[in-house]
Amino acid sequence: MKALKIILFVLVMGTVSSVMLVGVNSFTQPLIFKNEEVKLKSAVLGALEITYETGSALAIFNDKVRVLDAGKTEFFISRDGAAAFEFYGPGLWGPISGVASINPDLKSIKAIKIVSQEETPGLGGRIAEHGFLKQFRGKEFFPRLVFMPEGKSSAVNEVDAITGATGSSRALERLLNSVLQKNAGILKEQLNNR
Amino acid sequence: MSPKKTVKRSFRNAKWFKALIAGLWQDNPTFCMVLGLCSMLAITNRMDNAIAMGLGVTFCIVFSSLLVSLFRNVIPSRVRMLAYMVIIATFVICVDRFLKAYFPPISEELGPYVGLIITNCIIMGRAEAYAIKNGPLLSALDGLGCGIGYTFMLILMAFVRETIGFGTLLGYRVMPGSWVNWVVMTIAPGAFFLLGVYLWIFRTIAKKTEA
Repeated sequence: MKALKIILFVLVMGTVSSVMLVGVNSFTQPLIFKNEEVKLKSAVLGALEITYETGSALAIFNDKVRVLDAGKTEFFISRDGAAAFEFYGPGLWGPISGVASINPDLKSIKAIKIVSQEETPGLGGRIAEHGFLKQFRGKEFFPRLVFMPEGKSSAVNEVDAITGATGSSRALERLLNSVLQKNAGILKEQLNNR
Repeated sequence: MSPKKTVKRSFRNAKWFKALIAGLWQDNPTFCMVLGLCSMLAITNRMDNAIAMGLGVTFCIVFSSLLVSLFRNVIPSRVRMLAYMVIIATFVICVDRFLKAYFPPISEELGPYVGLIITNCIIMGRAEAYAIKNGPLLSALDGLGCGIGYTFMLILMAFVRETIGFGTLLGYRVMPGSWVNWVVMTIAPGAFFLLGVYLWIFRTIAKKTEA
């Protein structure tokens, strides 16, 4: 009898809390989806260097960006032919994700934006800073992008690494090289097939 | 004794006032009970995170204490832990969804630590130590006191860590331009040192006032 009471109590409590959570979920789900969409589209606009104001990101995205679905990867192509795509891979301490864009020539970088990273704050964490990322503009990633010791970069495929953050710099170098070359190839195929 | 004085005394000695004030000082969850330290170390690197976390935890303590207390005569004692967990988890998920929907940047900064409020010992501790034995109003006040006490410590920690570690406060620059950020303050080891210093200070003061 006592056991029955306990089971009944647990059942009722579980049901009530589940019903509550389903309610909360159905109420917040659309908002959460919208937040994620805004976040991705703002990052894409940032990488394509299309100016937008907070609140108008979605409208400007729909107006100025064409989405090209290439199976696994989605490309976001602006009117001037630059293409942006998401990238994701391991850093030194945790995953790094971001959006990269390449110029219409398909062999040089337009811009790199880091969306999330868990590198050491103040050291590897500087990979997300504008001052570091702006040096990627116009750099070529064929045959490969090379991270040089700070202050030593000169060639068109070389950028400065971060002193004191060798691990994070190497991880980002590997990640960018693989993703840029692969996606440039896919995009070329897609455009040629049209 | 004049009647006026009795009124004043009864207010300070009233049960509800004691319940509320306990968590703020003599039973402060951080430097007296030394509970809830994981989140204390993890998310106090910036002020806005600390405030959001403090509010979230306070909300969860108040409402889970209230519910545990309301149902204290119905909850079979053998499954009371399970009942606490379900009640706490329900509120924590509500907080998590709310932050994700309305404050996505803060939700992202706090990461898994919002969900981990479920395992925050302060909430479970108040349910088991207080709410299961006392009335709903007192339990809610006790929870509120502990929540505020915890938030107070989070803010103290974040105040030092953000100013020294990032040179900012709530995102605004407060340190001079030549200030070199102490990176160690932005990561967990720095928080450990700072927490130790705070515990030292507060325990010393507490000992003096107790004596």
